[in-house]
Amino acid sequence: MNCVELQQSLAEVEDASTWQQRAHLRTCPACAALVRELDQIVAAAAELQGADEPSPRVWNSIEIALRKEGLIRPQSRRSPLSSFGLRWGRAGWLLPALALLLLTVGLYLRQQFYPAGLPQEASFSRQDSISQPRVAVANSGGLEDEDLMQEVAANAPSMRPQYEENLRRVNESIRDLQSAADESPNDQEARRALMDAYQQKSMLFDMAMEQSLP
Amino acid sequence: MPHPNDCGRISDLTEPRQQNSTEISEAEAIERAKLGDAEAFQVLYDKHKRRVYSLCLRMTANTAEAEDLAQEAFLQLYRKIATFRGESAFSTWLHRLSVNVVLMHLRKKSLPVVSLEETTQGTEEDSPRKDFGADDVALSGSIDRLQLQRAVNDLPPGYRMIFVLHDVEGYEHNEIAGMVGCSIGNSKSQLHKARMKLRDLLKMNRAEKAGKSRAG
Repeated sequence: MNCVELQQSLAEVEDASTWQQRAHLRTCPACAALVRELDQIVAAAAELQGADEPSPRVWNSIEIALRKEGLIRPQSRRSPLSSFGLRWGRAGWLLPALALLLLTVGLYLRQQFYPAGLPQEASFSRQDSISQPRVAVANSGGLEDEDLMQEVAANAPSMRPQYEENLRRVNESIRDLQSAADESPNDQEARRALMDAYQQKSMLFDMAMEQSLP
Repeated sequence: MPHPNDCGRISDLTEPRQQNSTEISEAEAIERAKLGDAEAFQVLYDKHKRRVYSLCLRMTANTAEAEDLAQEAFLQLYRKIATFRGESAFSTWLHRLSVNVVLMHLRKKSLPVVSLEETTQGTEEDSPRKDFGADDVALSGSIDRLQLQRAVNDLPPGYRMIFVLHDVEGYEHNEIAGMVGCSIGNSKSQLHKARMKLRDLLKMNRAEKAGKSRAG
């Protein structure tokens, strides 16, 4: 086998494993270098797989198209814990039950803190709009975020990253909504959304504390 | 030359960077996407976007086209997801669908997906040089990924297609022949020429760099 035949044979037997190819490569440094370099290219090529990230524009366009085509259900508002139920699998049924429980407790506490007959609007002064939701958090036993994470770490360490992420999201949401409520004290919608966010945080605490982890 | 991705090339589509943010299982995401769950769609997208987009980018060598094609591939996926029954791996299904989207696009552009002339003869400019035994710059050391990307972009479309499908994505010649509509022998020949051409391009690139650094 000569150099031309060797190169032609590489198209069919690319690993140069036939005895004729091997015999030629032993005596021809140029062809041996060629085979080595082709091997290098093949090895480097595998690294190109999945090497590039599309711009966010791609997903935005996909989402718009999916909505236009009616392939995805409309969502009224993106909740900070919108992915929570999705990721909780079997424990997902606990969410509505806990929400109901929280609502009941929240109403009870509201009655305790605000005497009957007090005008509804008065209970939502600028100060109260900040302090009232904290009642809901205090309902979770006055626990801090760190307590929650310790509880999760003790009961379900594998869930810790998920809890951290959810906690981060809900805290961010509370901060944003709190700013909005501070800027517009009469904005009922902002206050309601803030209450919702605090309730979601409270729910997060309750789920950890009641050991409802899967 | 065994392909480095041969072991689990299809099953290993999950991107490590995304694993933490998408702990929902793929099977669950698929079922929820069938019901129109927006977040499940995004989970599937996040999991596979790099592989699909990179495939489109490699095959077209054009960022804007690659984005449009990746978008089209995912849209087709979502439109058809209700028909996915799980007989084959989801990633295999998506990947094949993406390849088809790109091939259709190239055909519409009237680009020869595989030109027999190019394969058997090649033009003076595109064919690998037959420099047996010539004293040329050795392709020593590791090959830089960006250099290789640029060289792949410079390949003629026919060569690039086969090279990407075989050496980057890990398809076998019989699969490529079926997808592209050529013979197995043609696929093998095209691949060999693509590699030879790449070797030339990489060497030229190195020689240019060496010349510049000497001049500088």
